[in-house]
Amino acid sequence: MLEVEDLEVRYGAVPAVRGVTLQVAQGEIVGLIGPNGAGKSTTLHAIVGLLRPHRGDIRLQGRSLRQRPPEAVARAGVALVPEGRRIYADMTVEENLRLGMAARPTRAGVDEDLDWIYSLFPVVKEFRSRPAGALSGGQQQQLAIARALIARPRVLLLDEPSLGLAPTLVRVVFSALAEIRARGVTVLLVEQRAQRTVAFADRTYVMANGRLRMTLHPADAADSDRLVAAYFGA
Amino acid sequence: MTVLALIGAQDVQKLVDAVALGSIYALMAVGIGLVFGVMRLVNFAYGQLVMAGAYALYLSSRHGASTLEAILVCFAVVIGLALLMEVVAFRRLRQATPATMLVATFAISYLLQSIAVLWFGTLGNIDPVLQDLRRPFSLGNVYVAKITVVTVVVAALALATLALLLNRTTIGLQLRAAAADFVTARLLGVRGNAVVAAAVVVSGALAATVSVLLPVAQSPLITPDYALRDTIFVLVAVVVGGIDRLLSATLGGFAVGFAVGLMGGFLPTRGEWPFTSSIYIDSALYTAVILVLLFRPTGIFARRGQRAVERV
Amino acid sequence: MRRVEALVQLAGPAALLVLVGVVGSFMDRAREIEFRNALVATAIVVALYVFVGNSGVLSFGQVAFVAVGAFAAGEMTVPADAKEGVLPNVFSLIGDHTIGNAESLLLATGLGGLYALLVGIPLMRLSGLAAGIATFAVLGVTFNILRNWEKIGPGPQTLSTVPETTDLLQGTVGAIAVVACAFLYQRSRLGRQLRATREDPAAAAAAGIDIHRQRLWAFVLSGALSGFAGGLLVHARGTLETRDVYLDLTFLSLAMLVVGGMASLWGAVLGSLLVSGLDSFLLNAENGQIPGLEAPAGTRLVVVGAFMALELGLPRRLRERLRPQAQGAPVEQPSGQS
Repeated sequence: MLEVEDLEVRYGAVPAVRGVTLQVAQGEIVGLIGPNGAGKSTTLHAIVGLLRPHRGDIRLQGRSLRQRPPEAVARAGVALVPEGRRIYADMTVEENLRLGMAARPTRAGVDEDLDWIYSLFPVVKEFRSRPAGALSGGQQQQLAIARALIARPRVLLLDEPSLGLAPTLVRVVFSALAEIRARGVTVLLVEQRAQRTVAFADRTYVMANGRLRMTLHPADAADSDRLVAAYFGA
Repeated sequence: MTVLALIGAQDVQKLVDAVALGSIYALMAVGIGLVFGVMRLVNFAYGQLVMAGAYALYLSSRHGASTLEAILVCFAVVIGLALLMEVVAFRRLRQATPATMLVATFAISYLLQSIAVLWFGTLGNIDPVLQDLRRPFSLGNVYVAKITVVTVVVAALALATLALLLNRTTIGLQLRAAAADFVTARLLGVRGNAVVAAAVVVSGALAATVSVLLPVAQSPLITPDYALRDTIFVLVAVVVGGIDRLLSATLGGFAVGFAVGLMGGFLPTRGEWPFTSSIYIDSALYTAVILVLLFRPTGIFARRGQRAVERV
Repeated sequence: MRRVEALVQLAGPAALLVLVGVVGSFMDRAREIEFRNALVATAIVVALYVFVGNSGVLSFGQVAFVAVGAFAAGEMTVPADAKEGVLPNVFSLIGDHTIGNAESLLLATGLGGLYALLVGIPLMRLSGLAAGIATFAVLGVTFNILRNWEKIGPGPQTLSTVPETTDLLQGTVGAIAVVACAFLYQRSRLGRQLRATREDPAAAAAAGIDIHRQRLWAFVLSGALSGFAGGLLVHARGTLETRDVYLDLTFLSLAMLVVGGMASLWGAVLGSLLVSGLDSFLLNAENGQIPGLEAPAGTRLVVVGAFMALELGLPRRLRERLRPQAQGAPVEQPSGQS
């Protein structure tokens, strides 16, 4: 579904991602973990067209997304739930959702999708006429995912969705992801929580210093913290 | 009416005129603020859009166009020129710093003025469109020029339409989103160029409205530097009001227009010392803008606690 | 090696200015004025460069300092017997005293620097767009007051009978002096510190550089040099009106700086001479003095304006292509590093 091949991204002359190759198959959940500054967000930003790759290619169902502006990538079916949620605080919850429609390929089926999204995140329905800025962090995170889903994406990218959330809300987010995958949406999940991500995802890449260092599977979950720590010698 | 009797008919007329000038400045402030919102670009050349529209009115009526036709031509010319600016110049400046963009629009402003000099000379031409609206009508013993009322009504209608557009339509929603956070809007699939074009078209339509009103409300003599001083005042107003928010920018525009109108009407025309007469209005406004930039960088009408300074 | 390179930075522009002066001296009177103007324009632009080029902060205000210097130097050198006619309403301090050319240039320099200091103390806290607008406001206030307050100058009238002492020699020496000051400043510790803040304000602040103070130093030096250049200007022209030192000059000097590339002394000098040359050529064409090329009035600013608009807009992509490491530059500011 989504292929990243030999991706290199630089800030000025400094490479932040150095030759990353990864694939996410249709309906798969793939995790991407690693310490701060490893290049995880940079990889996501390159995929969605916010950063121009210095080298390498990004393909969605075989078609290159390279050099395409962010809106074109979104319309091709790749949705990003950005770090920090990036909710429009001055707009209502409903207006935020309506904005998500911009990348939707067709208007057909909006009501069904909305019903599904509301069943995933009841708070979004409950607070739909409130200003989004009045929502709590966890509620905003749910809104951000809902806003991405209303575009009916083929691939959903999430940048640290559990950051700063209470444990119960983390569970809500992860179980929503499972249902989203059940609908056939492919998920690439960037996370800090190593153990949880490894246990949850089909495969998890470990990234450091701009490179993929190893791949972990759910079976490694119990040992993941130790494995990662051992690898980095921390 | 008793209040009117107290302050005198003359004063009421000045007050009403000041409201009209405030309305015009408010329109210009929205036009500048709208483009700034989505592009972070302060368009110094906005006044030249108004100038081009006024020349379009003059030229088309000289060629026998009716009032309506002349106004249509004016809108077409101004909106076309605004889009041309966006496609030829602004689009290339998307990644430039706000300061570079300011210098660039300053250059465009000069370029357009020079083209006008080349085309029409510096002497000026009279714009005849709607000039009969200058005639006054009376309310009791107060005489008010018809254009004054027309200006206020048209401005109110234009702003109301814009508010509807922004709050009730999809493109309006996308405009607001782009103004608040352009990157996220694009990530959601909002087409950057389309939103910018929409902002530029609306901003051009507002400039065209001003092109029609200003030569009737103020001097009908159109020169290459027409509306330049007004634009500088409005830029000041937008900064004073808080350029980040459309409503407060509009209030700033109105306030400055109103203040200029009042000072022009009530201050003596000559004074021995600076700041004592209406010829020093410019200094007063510029001083105000410096003080606002220093002490309330988000603008005086903006809410407290907004991030600002660098974004101004 | 570095020393040689540095000397070229100074000697190159200086030699170029001497060349302009020498070539100008072979011209007839009408042509010679154009050469003098080019030298004065260079002085103004280099003065502007001292602040904008080194700090990376936009300023529209330098022409205000040029204006103050020009009017001060002009008014104080108007011959005693002509003062009553040219400056009927001024304070007696101005009306009753007349000074020589050299003193007037010193006065212009001092007033320019002082004015820049007064304005700069509050304003140098601003940067980016805010700095651009605030300095524009300073220009606006200066113009408005100079144009209307007849106690300090001719007001809306033209200041005339100013001795035309800026000949080619003085113009050349003056312009080189400004270039030398700019050169010495940017080589100095202060100049290097300011340039560090231009590259990376956060890092510079972390290294203990007081950005506000460094900008203020540059602003004051730039103001003093602008005032000096204003003195040269008024003595080159002999007459001066407030409009001569307002928007047109601001636009032209910014255009010259932009065309040359904002960040180098060479660029500032080359840009000034280039645009001055182009400007004079087109002015002659407008006046029908160039056989076979008759341009209508106004061509000059159209061409210069187009030149500048193009320079600001078009070559960005080109420059990007020339610098491969800029390729990974964000399409938009990235929200945060991963």
